[in-house]
Amino acid sequence: MAEVSLRGVSKSFGADNALDDVSMTIPHGSFVVLLGPTGAGKTTTLRMVSGLDRPDSGDISIGGRSVIALTPAQRNVAMVFQQYSLYPHLSVRENLEFPLKSPILKTPRAEIDRKVGEVAEILQISHKLDNKATELSGGEMQRVSIGRALVRNPAVYLMDEPLSSLDAKLRADLRIELKNIQANSGATLLYVTHDQIEAMTMATHVGVLDHGRLVQFGSPREIYEDPVSIYAASRLGQPRINILPADCFGGAPKAAAFIGLRPEQIQQGEGEESFVKRVEHLGDQTRLHLSFKTHDLITVTDPHTQLDSGDIVRITPRNPFYFDDSGARLV
Amino acid sequence: MSASPLDQVAAATPVQMATKIKGLSDRAIAWIFVTPTILILLAINIFPLIWTIRLSFTDFRVNRPNAEVSWVGLRNYERVLTDPDIWTAMQATAHFLIWTIVLQVLIGFTLAYLINKKFRGNDLWTTIIVLPMMLSPAVVGNFWTFLYQPQIGLFNYAVSFFTGIDPSSFSMIGDVNLAPWSIVIVDTWMWSPFVMLICLAGLRSIPDSIYEAAECDRASKWRQFWTITIPMVLPFLMLAVLFRGIENFKMFDLVVQLTGGGPGSLTELSSINLKREAFEKWRTGYASAYAVILFVTVFGLASIYVKALNRVKNR
Repeated sequence: MAEVSLRGVSKSFGADNALDDVSMTIPHGSFVVLLGPTGAGKTTTLRMVSGLDRPDSGDISIGGRSVIALTPAQRNVAMVFQQYSLYPHLSVRENLEFPLKSPILKTPRAEIDRKVGEVAEILQISHKLDNKATELSGGEMQRVSIGRALVRNPAVYLMDEPLSSLDAKLRADLRIELKNIQANSGATLLYVTHDQIEAMTMATHVGVLDHGRLVQFGSPREIYEDPVSIYAASRLGQPRINILPADCFGGAPKAAAFIGLRPEQIQQGEGEESFVKRVEHLGDQTRLHLSFKTHDLITVTDPHTQLDSGDIVRITPRNPFYFDDSGARLV
Repeated sequence: MSASPLDQVAAATPVQMATKIKGLSDRAIAWIFVTPTILILLAINIFPLIWTIRLSFTDFRVNRPNAEVSWVGLRNYERVLTDPDIWTAMQATAHFLIWTIVLQVLIGFTLAYLINKKFRGNDLWTTIIVLPMMLSPAVVGNFWTFLYQPQIGLFNYAVSFFTGIDPSSFSMIGDVNLAPWSIVIVDTWMWSPFVMLICLAGLRSIPDSIYEAAECDRASKWRQFWTITIPMVLPFLMLAVLFRGIENFKMFDLVVQLTGGGPGSLTELSSINLKREAFEKWRTGYASAYAVILFVTVFGLASIYVKALNRVKNR
């Protein structure tokens, strides 16, 4: 296990800047989630650390040693691919054994069997061990592909949207399982997702990427409570942060162009009038779709609220975020 | 009154015919489409086969159509299987078959492996490499007789260039030791590209991400080759071997043009031998028995092979 650090890493594919001067330090034993929409450079970052692609400039080190000239095998990284990349002609068991059979490791047979059994148990695929990899469902393939990484003891685990094709229940189970594995083994884990629940529940650190630039790096709470920009603020929080022109409410600083309001930053029952368009009862929470001075916003209210569409609710901001016209946060 | 063309066709069609076609079931329509093919197949494939089997039990000679034909039972088969000439031809065929397959698999796969490496101009190289395959076998056989020519042949010149042997000191076609190899070389030259194309299809079907996964799983290039490349190309390779095996079992034109079966009958493969029995010696009944034996052999071998191929595919 080791600390991973990127310094000034850039990579372009033709005219497309996939990564632009990205620097971050992934502390030893941390669970780092990279967040961002498609094309933000998440997978590219992962491939840089794995060694499958080389950066155009910048340096990457694992455990304090520059690995820029090393192959993936020499870097000792385990990677889970988004498209599974199982060995189609092998059985599930053989797929899981594959990394352990590396001549570098010389794992004894009993040890291989124990590890494969253990990982299959965690991922709930024990009954499929003798099936061919191509006979599995998408979710099962994804679990085998996670398993192929977990049987190893690498310097760092790299996972590219490993839970994306699982059903909701299994995804929730594996979220907890992955977090436990990481916490118990002290593994360093770099994880790519666009699912903010995965980021909030598992990450010790979140890196927010935007068009190849790392815009913010910090704990999930830091990013949630102290975002540097509208973009970073929009990555976390369900329902999403509401962005309105700053002059909708009084009291905005002079430079502010936008005001950002998370549901808990909207105080209900006082202030200006807004109009309830729709009420969504989700069980544990109730969402209000409001219309306020021609702007739409979504907030959360008491689950047992008596409000109905057509009602009037008074709202006022409480400790809101202000952003300038470029979207950067004003502090 | 102006009617659309469709209306005009509808009006011109006799009522009876229209309802008849409408009344056909899907099954009947399917039969209508398939029947011509079945009839042609029966006429030019199945009927001759059955007729050959019938003739193989008689002493019929096609150059004596009016002679009395008598039923000889299994005697033709007995004579074919005890004829030493036929075993010589079988041995020549086996030699040709085994060596062409071994060499074509090795060369074809190697070429495919090299072409599959992304480099500039590999499309051009692919085109150049597959050229021999596009020629007519008879033409290939004919011009290789010139290449093998001891005094002026390019092949002999090339051998002498690399080894220093006097080019006119050996004749690929005339020498009893070299002649069996001369046909192997030409067939390999002509058909290795075919094996290459099929292997290339196999290699291209392996996604890069599988190699990337193996790379991360710390498999060396050597291990990737043996545990990923070979097993995943094997079904394709076996298919190529099946095609080449069947083709070369019935090899005729190329060898007839190149060596004519000589020297002596050293390169007289079974199909050439069979043609001599049937259309030079006119022993039609005997040759029919010979043909049936060859047919059963190929059919049997191919069936066993296809079973093995399916096992590999479903592994």
